Amino acid sequence: MNSTIAGISYRAVIGRRRIWLLVLLPAALLGLAVLLRLVGSADERSAVVLMQTFAIGTMLPLVGLIVGTGVIGPEVDDGTIVHLLAKPISRPVIAQTKFLVAASLLAAFAAVPTFLASYLLVGTESGVATGFGLGALAGGIAYAAVFLLLGVLTKHAVAVGIVYALVWEGLVGSLVPGARQFSIQQWAKSIADQISTSAFLETDVALSFAVPALIVVTVGTVVWAGQRLRSFSLTGDE
Amino acid sequence: MTATPAPGPTGVIHDIGYRHYDGPLLGRRQAFGALTGYSLRGVFGLGRPARAKIMPFMLAVIMLMPAALGIAIMALAKETFVGYTGYAVQMQVVLAIFVAAQSPYLVAPDLRFRVLPLYLSRPVTVRDYVGAKLAALITAMFLLLAIPLTVMYAGELLIDLPGAPRTSDYLASVTTALIHAVVLACIGLAIASFTPRRGLGVAAVIAFFLLTAATSTVVAAVLYELGSAGAGWALLINPFHMVDAVQVWLFGTPSSFADIPYPDGIGGPAAALGVIALIALSLAALTARYRKAASA
Repeated sequence: MNSTIAGISYRAVIGRRRIWLLVLLPAALLGLAVLLRLVGSADERSAVVLMQTFAIGTMLPLVGLIVGTGVIGPEVDDGTIVHLLAKPISRPVIAQTKFLVAASLLAAFAAVPTFLASYLLVGTESGVATGFGLGALAGGIAYAAVFLLLGVLTKHAVAVGIVYALVWEGLVGSLVPGARQFSIQQWAKSIADQISTSAFLETDVALSFAVPALIVVTVGTVVWAGQRLRSFSLTGDE
Repeated sequence: MTATPAPGPTGVIHDIGYRHYDGPLLGRRQAFGALTGYSLRGVFGLGRPARAKIMPFMLAVIMLMPAALGIAIMALAKETFVGYTGYAVQMQVVLAIFVAAQSPYLVAPDLRFRVLPLYLSRPVTVRDYVGAKLAALITAMFLLLAIPLTVMYAGELLIDLPGAPRTSDYLASVTTALIHAVVLACIGLAIASFTPRRGLGVAAVIAFFLLTAATSTVVAAVLYELGSAGAGWALLINPFHMVDAVQVWLFGTPSSFADIPYPDGIGGPAAALGVIALIALSLAALTARYRKAASA
């Protein structure tokens, strides 16, 4: 953890136009929650639907993508990453710092709004709010690590990340049940299901698989990103 | 500094032997055509590194898969399985990813490296530049959608199923494909042009499509549950459904979303107005953005 790098990374994500997108997504979620309350369907069922399709299914991967690639992508794009890499700071530490920054932003812009939105709808009923809040937190941490690695690996990180989140987790996951085992979204849902006692929430992935998978993926990708930064070569833009 | 008399004339332009261009200058229309062609090739990664070709061609292949499946089922089981009119709505995720991944490529590098003045030093105007980029993306989106439809129709004609071929469905879907292409390209380019960073552009465009899709699904499902007539209207928040509703209105095709019907009566014209408003809004945003970019 290096506070200077953390400061630079926070500024890179929050200080530019990126912040509008980051605010818009949670705002849409909270807006929908308010709307559901206003039309009088703030029950547990609609809360679970909103959380599953919107919070975990749409907002979490998108915020993860924007934050995870945002902490490193612009620096790689501009080539300013070489100034950072030229400093006597261990490359794995750079990767770990950027991961922590991304994870903390995901907690603020994805996990907290998820909790607030479901609390707005059902309060503390059957632990839906806590469940989805913690699920979003765990999923967000994993997304931060995976998309950070993508940002180090490729210049087309955002496009590749979208294909993973939408095509693999969305399309393939809805058609092939086996693919759901390898989906961060599903792991986040498993955690939500474990904490919540809601009958409307069903998951396909056992918690005994989801939790180790989340840990392995998070730790593995952060270590990989650090190793990858050690032999990083800046290629020219097309 | 001591004044030394300048020896001989200064500021001579030496002819150092570069070859002059004496041929015809083709002018504005050809420049527009060249920029459109170049941009269209670039959307599919042609003339760019191999890495840039992976994404568009992979998505194009995915777009063809249902058509291939439809032909296979027509050939083997002798029945129609994949419809024409719902193709775009079924494949909306792929279309959204394509427009999100490729529209920033068209606008972001030129903004980022500030080469717009170089274009404008030619006979090309700002309107030509934006028009060429739009034309390229519209063509690309239309090809992406119309080729699978046409392939499937050709397959249907060749297999020669009992009964008439679904020609009217095919024609309706190709016409709607053009509307889809215009709407998607306008929205994608308008959003992407607001940031010179490609990654952020990709994220912003996909965020728009995902947000509208998820919002429309959630609101429609909840309103439908309550038995409210607003459910059909909520579907129209999603641009894909909005265009589909226009198709239903214009051609009388079945809705591509089986669970909840679109609003009938005034719903069709309203959806058409919505489509026109969406296009106009995007064009206004693009014009405003490039008026600023050209003067910067």
